[in-house]
Amino acid sequence: MNDEILFAREDEMEALNLDDAVDSQKYLIFMAGHLKLGVVAEDVVEILNNQVITYLPMVPDFIRGIINMRGQMIPILDIRARLGMEPQEGDDLVVVINLGDVQLGILVDGVDQMLDIPKNNIHPLPANSTQLLVSGMCSLPDGSGTMMVLDCEQLMPNE
Amino acid sequence: MGSGNEILDMYIYETGTLLEQLETIVLEAEKVDTFSQENVNEIFRIMHTIKGSSAMMEFDTLATVAHRIEDMFFIIREGTMSVVSEDDRPALFDVVFQSIDFFRGEVEKVESGEPLDSNIDSFMANINTLIAKIKGEGPPEPVPAAAAPAAPAAPAPAPAPAAGGGFPHALRVNFEEGCGMESLRAFMLVTAVKDVCGEGDFTFDPPNVENDPSTTESIIDNGFHLMFRNEADRAGAIATIKTVGSVQGYQPYEIAPVEEKPAAPSAASPAAAAPAAAPAAAPSAAPAAPAAQQVQQTQQHPKETLISVNLSKLDQLSAVVGEIVITESMVTSSPDLKGLALDAFSKSARQLRKLTDELQDVSMSLRMVPVSSVFQKMTRIVRDMTKKLNRPAKLTLIGENTEVDKTIVDSIGDPIMHMIRNSMDHGIEETQEERIAAGKDPVGEIVLSARDTGSEVIIEIIDDGRGVNDEAVLSKAIRQGIASPDADYSHREILSFLLAPGFSTNTEVTEFSGRGVGMDVVKRGVEELGGTVSISSELGRGMTTTIRIPLTMAIMDGMEVAVGDSIFTIPINNIQATMKVSAGDVIHDSNSGEIIKCQGNFVPIVRARDLYQLQDGCSNIEDGVLIWLEAGDHSYCLFVDELLGQQQVVVKQLPAYVNSFNVKRYGINGCTLRSDGSISIILDVASLYTAARGM
Repeated sequence: MNDEILFAREDEMEALNLDDAVDSQKYLIFMAGHLKLGVVAEDVVEILNNQVITYLPMVPDFIRGIINMRGQMIPILDIRARLGMEPQEGDDLVVVINLGDVQLGILVDGVDQMLDIPKNNIHPLPANSTQLLVSGMCSLPDGSGTMMVLDCEQLMPNE
Repeated sequence: MGSGNEILDMYIYETGTLLEQLETIVLEAEKVDTFSQENVNEIFRIMHTIKGSSAMMEFDTLATVAHRIEDMFFIIREGTMSVVSEDDRPALFDVVFQSIDFFRGEVEKVESGEPLDSNIDSFMANINTLIAKIKGEGPPEPVPAAAAPAAPAAPAPAPAPAAGGGFPHALRVNFEEGCGMESLRAFMLVTAVKDVCGEGDFTFDPPNVENDPSTTESIIDNGFHLMFRNEADRAGAIATIKTVGSVQGYQPYEIAPVEEKPAAPSAASPAAAAPAAAPAAAPSAAPAAPAAQQVQQTQQHPKETLISVNLSKLDQLSAVVGEIVITESMVTSSPDLKGLALDAFSKSARQLRKLTDELQDVSMSLRMVPVSSVFQKMTRIVRDMTKKLNRPAKLTLIGENTEVDKTIVDSIGDPIMHMIRNSMDHGIEETQEERIAAGKDPVGEIVLSARDTGSEVIIEIIDDGRGVNDEAVLSKAIRQGIASPDADYSHREILSFLLAPGFSTNTEVTEFSGRGVGMDVVKRGVEELGGTVSISSELGRGMTTTIRIPLTMAIMDGMEVAVGDSIFTIPINNIQATMKVSAGDVIHDSNSGEIIKCQGNFVPIVRARDLYQLQDGCSNIEDGVLIWLEAGDHSYCLFVDELLGQQQVVVKQLPAYVNSFNVKRYGINGCTLRSDGSISIILDVASLYTAARGM
């Protein structure tokens, strides 16, 4: 395990030195409960705080409601509830991501950091993992933990 | 790719408009059983344009058909309608109608990217037979003119006589060597020049570049010549030509004597079928030319003052204007200003309010179009059905200039068509004797009317036919399981069965109506527009269908209500009354449902808080307010905490992500921004009730 982290660091250094544009990708890492989740930074439109979320009836519990972002209606997804954890307490930090034509606000506990991660540092989940909505894992180079890559496509309904 | 699509869009739009014009003319003309010379000129011009643009888009079959019809009207134009004998006139009208249908069908195929119909032989044979008939009986002199089908393209015969007299300022244009398709390039050049000077103010040579590829050689050898009436036009054209691609150079020159000119075009254009035919065509066309020019000039005015705009741009505009209206009220009624005496600010704020109101009115009026295009189509349907069913009837249009939102015009056509067909099929009596026996005019009448009440548009389809037979409808409804055999139904309830899904009174399937789909299609179509349908009828006297549609859907008047922390907006149109009631007024039924008596009617109560499982809100009926709502056949009271006030709101769609959870089924239809920037949910009164009943 330690070896792997070491190699990963070396790989990362190489990647940064040689060609960081091609082989690595910027991730925004945010907190949801005890998890660190990452989304591709290019997909992130905006990080909003202190939003008033309008409750919407007749939708699944993990949809908190909608917000008005400059006249645009954005649905707000409680990522903790979506992943089957305890629902979020506060509702002050929203990461708005753009998936194709759909904009979606993700309610998070906090934003951790923005990081360049080489693609080959991201490993698949253990084969029998029951973790929802995650497409890969990566140990953070600063040793602060492990990032799970959120599979945004799966956040879309009917899937 | 993008520009190619634009050209195609333009072609589809232009051809559609022309066909509409054509249909109106022919329908009018058929009533008097003749074409006026003006009509003939107009049809000629329309066919000519369709021919030209189809050829340019390489839709050969369309161009061929248009060409042939153009030929036919050329003969008629020469000899006036007297060349067409009385007996042939119905055939003439039919052929024109068939051609309209043909073009429409093909253009639709073009639009959806399907291959075009390549087999037009039988249709062409039809036209040719008719042409032969017309020619056979016409005076002999126009015959040679028609014998040269390549020549009669409208401006084509004109240059010869006109050039010498009226067009002294000429311009020779050379295209780049080997650029190919010189004839088409020349035609596009002509089109571009038309934009800067009037169609009647210049001519060109060789004449029929748009459909005769062999002119290419002449253009390569002798250049392409444009002749202008005024020097200023030529200057304008030079500026345009500079911007057109593949032009190598140009050379202005003056045409002096009259004699030289007639020889020039026939010599310079080896294309003009036979040299003998060209001069023959020229003199006979000469008297017609001024008339054609006149038509073209009157046609130019609307061209210059009207532009076509992509609907999505208008949608964008009304969305932005809606935002501005809200932002304006956010700024001027900002809580930061409370307690401040700001005279100048208030004055400017009032001015701003006035201007934003005006802006809103203007932007909404942009989306308004008259319903006449839809109504016109109905004339055609009635005409066709009268012929097929052999059941004389006339359609009277009232208020066809009523303007409604473009989206409404686009989707109102099918419901109206369905009702008109229904009236023709089931309403109007089968035989004239039956009508005479009932003391009616032997010719049936259907009235299609539209009027605007300020908040909604009311469309009525009234026929003076047999009316609805309550007993027949009821027994049918019972057979279909829609009605219960034991219950007593009122006249109004029986009529409402007509709009129930799967109900169709005619057991036979006819070509026009009764294809297994009932009038519920009408109902659904209208309800999608936020409107309502109702039917009234008296046996033996006819039937009236009334369609009411809110004028515009983008902005509506709503009542804001609060339930706990949530705020909902209910369309004012649906609200009958609001009331406070005491607990004693509420009647409880056996299923723990609640009923209240409003103005003599018993209506059920729906509690918004229970329906939407909201955490907060009044539970005691005396603390809140009842809103009596009506939509279509649904009538009920919605219980909410309090009324916040009436507001004009801009309707916004909910995010697609939210809609994917089927919230619309529960009456959650959209949302709107309130003046403080918070969101209110717009309720759909009809589906809310359906949802409440289903629970």
